[in-house]
Amino acid sequence: MNLQQAVPPRSSANGFGRRRVDRETGARMDDNRMHSGKPTSPNFGLANGSKVGGVAGPSHDRLIYIMTCLVGQRVEVLVKNGSIISGIFHSANADKDFGVVLKMAQVIKDGSIKGQKPFNDTVKKPQTMIIPSRELVHILAKDASLSSDDGHAREKRNDLLIDSVISHPHHVEVERELERWIPDEDVPACSELENIFDGTWSRKWDQFETNETLFGVKSTFNEELYTTKLEKGPQMRELEIEASRIAREIEGEETHDHHLAEERGIYFHEDFDLDEESRYSAVRREADGGRYEENENSFLDAHNMETFGDSFGSAVSRSYSEVLSKQVSSESLASSTCLSADEDSQIPADKDAHVSGFTDHVTWPSSDSLVKSSLFMDEKNRLDDKMTKDQDAEKILLNECRDRIISEEAQTSKSEDVHPSTHLKGLSPSAVTYDPPSSDQINKCPAGESSDSAISGKLTSANEAVNTSLRPGCSTSSTSEHVGSGSVSGGPLSPSSSVGSLSSEKSTLNPNAKEFKLNPNAKSFMPSASLRQHTPASDGSFYYANNISAAPHMHGISMGIGIGPTFGGHHPVVYSPQAAPLQSPQAYIHPNGPLYGQQMILGQPRPLYYMPTYPAEMPYKGRNF
Amino acid sequence: MDGANGEEMAVGCILAIKTTLGDEFEGQIVTYDRPSNILVLQEGTTKPGARRNLRLLKANYIKDFTLLGRGEDPLDPKKCFIDLAAIQAREDAAMRQAEIEAERIGVGVTAEAQSIFDALSKTLPVHWDKTVIVVMNEVRVCSPYLPDNVSGGTPAANERVKKVLEFERKRLQARSPGQF
Repeated sequence: MNLQQAVPPRSSANGFGRRRVDRETGARMDDNRMHSGKPTSPNFGLANGSKVGGVAGPSHDRLIYIMTCLVGQRVEVLVKNGSIISGIFHSANADKDFGVVLKMAQVIKDGSIKGQKPFNDTVKKPQTMIIPSRELVHILAKDASLSSDDGHAREKRNDLLIDSVISHPHHVEVERELERWIPDEDVPACSELENIFDGTWSRKWDQFETNETLFGVKSTFNEELYTTKLEKGPQMRELEIEASRIAREIEGEETHDHHLAEERGIYFHEDFDLDEESRYSAVRREADGGRYEENENSFLDAHNMETFGDSFGSAVSRSYSEVLSKQVSSESLASSTCLSADEDSQIPADKDAHVSGFTDHVTWPSSDSLVKSSLFMDEKNRLDDKMTKDQDAEKILLNECRDRIISEEAQTSKSEDVHPSTHLKGLSPSAVTYDPPSSDQINKCPAGESSDSAISGKLTSANEAVNTSLRPGCSTSSTSEHVGSGSVSGGPLSPSSSVGSLSSEKSTLNPNAKEFKLNPNAKSFMPSASLRQHTPASDGSFYYANNISAAPHMHGISMGIGIGPTFGGHHPVVYSPQAAPLQSPQAYIHPNGPLYGQQMILGQPRPLYYMPTYPAEMPYKGRNF
Repeated sequence: MDGANGEEMAVGCILAIKTTLGDEFEGQIVTYDRPSNILVLQEGTTKPGARRNLRLLKANYIKDFTLLGRGEDPLDPKKCFIDLAAIQAREDAAMRQAEIEAERIGVGVTAEAQSIFDALSKTLPVHWDKTVIVVMNEVRVCSPYLPDNVSGGTPAANERVKKVLEFERKRLQARSPGQF
């Protein structure tokens, strides 16, 4: 066994430290015979082009450079018999022959044994291996980088210890290849199961009866508890016919919403590009999504333009009828006549936007079809509401209206429609939209009947009432006005297909929200370092000071209210004695709240815009905003 | 092979090489060292700065080669600096890493045992004690690593290890039938 000691370091270029070259003939690999040689000596300096004694010039330098770059990297060495050894490159002897030392090396592929059976033998621990140059065929370093810049990056990467490194990704098993499930052929397809949803109503099975007989469970379901009672009057049949006609009409409407289209059986030509995810699962972010984020009228306008822009042609008539229907609805709200805003109140902002937006955009139609369709929409709304409302007056009115419509007098009344509307256009924009329907009604149901006139009188009054309330601004405040009055008519909100189809996205506005009343007298908050006098922020209308008149903590402060001296009648204040704490639905945010700790009744935390300051002697019974 | 002599000046050339062992690869010549007869090839895309496969091939194993083209010198002589400290640190880090991994490998255990060890180690702390898998420092699983070989530890831990072992065995069998 010839052991040749490491070649003594030649000048500066060969300072690899100790290198061992095993020149024995037989053994290919050695046990760990590494002595304590330092891998690199500190004074090793390699500059490209430096003279190495006795060795050829630049190309050898390059080799040395490359070898140095490789130190510490994992390499695979192919040896003569075909085995591959993987290990960390430690050092090499580049002088004469190229022997390599690998640390933590293992035989990956054993070329000496025929066939590939890498793991049949016992697993060996990695060790340091020395590969003499005669055995060496090639060294493969994967993803090696030759410039030292990358080396730094790599260094950082190694030290960062990313999660995947820590979790030992090489132990992750390869996942199975997923295959689509195909039902077995020999499994009999239960025809019952497949047709279970067909002909729901023709099935002779009543689940409630079954339940009662089997388990004695009595059903207490009363439909009228949940929906408006249907009046089974003589007009029932006709109403049903009419309603189904309208329903068919709605369902046959063209839509661009993919979900609706699928329901209706309309297939877009571009549907083939959509995969399951985009058809059923993904969120559709189109222009008309999320349009209720702001309460700006113009915003709503813009959105509605976008929403209706692509199908504007058809939308115009629809929207016009929308407008009309809403106008009509609004009147009915106030006057509880034939039309209600039930369906419309669901999307109040829409309504309002239509009202305000489309006065500008909708040109009064001059085509018969347009008006007719709008009239039909009106009628549809009316009839829909008829189902849900039981008002005699409205029924009478409706009968008359319907008769007139069916008898095609609507054609003639069209012109009359236009006139009053244009005539009234001089009024405020919101008012305009409300007028035509009233005139519609008046036109269609000519006065001469007491009920009519009364109703029309109601309508006009309601018109004005609604108009005036709307005048302050076409914002969602008016929307809530609608809603507020809409709820007067009672009854649950029945989803309106006419409105629903037009705006298929749900409104994110809370229809039951309170109207926002801008309080022009609200003071902006000025933090004061003096006493505990605070003024709430500008939306002060919702801040109610909860007065603790008998609060023992209030020593020395003559603030019975706790709001600044400017407090006047602007802020509604609720006084409640301390002994009887009230939980009122309105938000109580007393500006001095935190000071009084448990004595304070704090309602739902509203966003506070100020942090109260207080003198140091007061303990802070904190309330976290 | 004498043809290798001509490559001394041909840095940057792209070659397709066949070796006597039957391997074939292509690469760009980085350097050729005559005394040791080593040809350094660089494989991979020519994007600068990217990591590429580096091959140090002993030139006497080249059976045949074809010149595919010429390229630039992959090593920029002006940018060849070596940060020894960084390299040292890199090696140390690699060594640490390798040692940690080596700990997971049992000495003289079968590959099957090693697979079981690896599978167990995903969810339980395990280490080797000769050829015995020690789980949570309490429960011992000895050869042939069947649920019956689980011993030691609290009954709860024992049960848990048994269950995990059964499950892992089933999974291993499902994935590679016939191997065990």
